Amino acid sequence: MKKIFTVLLACVMLLFALLPVYAANGKVTYSGNSGNFVFEPGGDHSPSDLFPNFKDVMPGDTLMQRINVKNDADNKVKVKIYIRALGAHTDSDEFLSKLGLKVKKSEDNEMAYMFDAAANESAQLSDWVCLGTLYSGGEVNLDVILKVPVELGNEFQSQAGYLDWEFMVDELPIEDSDPDAPQTGDKYIGLYISVIICSLVLIILLLVWHKKDKENGENSEEL
Amino acid sequence: MSLDCREKANSPKKEDVLLGKIKIRMATVAFIAIILTLLSHNTLAYYQTVGKGTNVVTSGNIRFIIHETTDQGNEFPKEGVYIMPGDVVSKKVSIESICDHPFYLRVKIVYGVDSTELSASDCFKLNINSKLWELHDGWYYYKGIVEPGQTTPNVFSHVEIVGANVDNSYIGKTLTLTVNAQAVQSENNPITDGKSYTASGWPAE
Repeated sequence: MKKIFTVLLACVMLLFALLPVYAANGKVTYSGNSGNFVFEPGGDHSPSDLFPNFKDVMPGDTLMQRINVKNDADNKVKVKIYIRALGAHTDSDEFLSKLGLKVKKSEDNEMAYMFDAAANESAQLSDWVCLGTLYSGGEVNLDVILKVPVELGNEFQSQAGYLDWEFMVDELPIEDSDPDAPQTGDKYIGLYISVIICSLVLIILLLVWHKKDKENGENSEEL
Repeated sequence: MSLDCREKANSPKKEDVLLGKIKIRMATVAFIAIILTLLSHNTLAYYQTVGKGTNVVTSGNIRFIIHETTDQGNEFPKEGVYIMPGDVVSKKVSIESICDHPFYLRVKIVYGVDSTELSASDCFKLNINSKLWELHDGWYYYKGIVEPGQTTPNVFSHVEIVGANVDNSYIGKTLTLTVNAQAVQSENNPITDGKSYTASGWPAE
C-alpha cells in the first residue's frame, strides 16, 4: 500500500514537473460564414495577444511560442489562409529592435523560416504569405521563436513591445476533386430544414388543390 | 328559359376554377423558387475576411529592498542614533527579493564622516556573516542565489563603535554607514566554481 502511494505521489509530482513544457498556445480561429477571426488567449496588454509565452522575458532567453491557426467554418467552403506582419508600434520600436524573431510552419521539417529578423520589422512578411488551404476543421501550426540577447541593457527592464500581425482568408467553393471534408455535427441541419419547409408547402398546396377539386365536383353535381 | 338562367349562373364558377388554377400554378412556381433558394445557399456567397492580432512581448526586471532593523524588529531610525566609543549598536541588514526572477547579490558598506580631516573607515566594526557573504574587491557577495520572494540572511547584525579609534576629535561629528547593494540575474548567467563574483553583468562602479 505504501509502495502504491509512493508511486502515485511520484507520478503526480512528475506530472506537475512536466506541466511547464506544455505552455499555452496562441490560437487563431476562423469561424467562417463571413464571421471573424478569434484570437486567443489575449492578455492584460492586448485582447488579441498570441504570445502568452513571451512575457517577463530576460536577457539570454530563447523562447518558443506555438500558434495554432484553424479553419472552423462549416463543410461548404475551404479557405486559403494568409499571414502578414505590420511591424511594431512606434513606441515599441526601440525595445523590439533588440529582439530576434523567427517564424516557421511547424509541419515544415526544414530550417527555412518564413520570417527571420528583428522583432520590430515586417521583413519577409511584409506581403501576404499563404499558410495553406484548409478544409473545415483543418489547421496549421506556426512556431515562433524569440531570442533575447544577453547584452540587453538595464534600460529595457519592464518594457512592453507591441507588434501587429494580420490574417486573411479567401473562402473558396468545394470542388468535386477535393478530398472529403471531415464531418461535423451540423452538416445535415440545412438539409433537414429544407425538407421540412418543402413538405409543409407541399401539404398546403395539396390541401388547396383538394379543396378546389371538391368545389368543382359539387358544381358539376349541381349541373 | 330555365336553361339559359343556369348557363348564366354557371359562367362565374368557370372563372373561379380558372383563377384557382392560376393560383396553383403561381404557388407551384413559388414552391420551386423556395427550393432553389434553399439549395442555392450551398454554392453562393464566398467571402474574404481580415483579422488583426496585436501581440505583446514584455521584459522582466530585478528588484529588491534593503531592510535595516534593530534587535526588537523595528526599522532602524532614519535620523540615526547617538553613539559613544565602545557602543555596540543593533543594526540588522538583509535584502528581500521583490521580483519574479532569481539573482546574484553583492553588498558594499560605505563609511563617512562630516569632516574632511577625519576618516570613518576604522570607526566601525561589523560582525559580517562570512559563512554566507564572501568579500571580494570591496564587495560582500552572497554565496548563493536569491530566489523570487526570498529574504537573505543578515549581512551583519551589530555595529561596534571602536573606542580606540574614536577619540575626542569625533565629538559632535556625524558618522555614517551606508549599505549599497547590486544584483544581476542568475538565469542564463553561469558562474565559475560557485563564485557569484564571476557572473556577467555586474554594474560598473
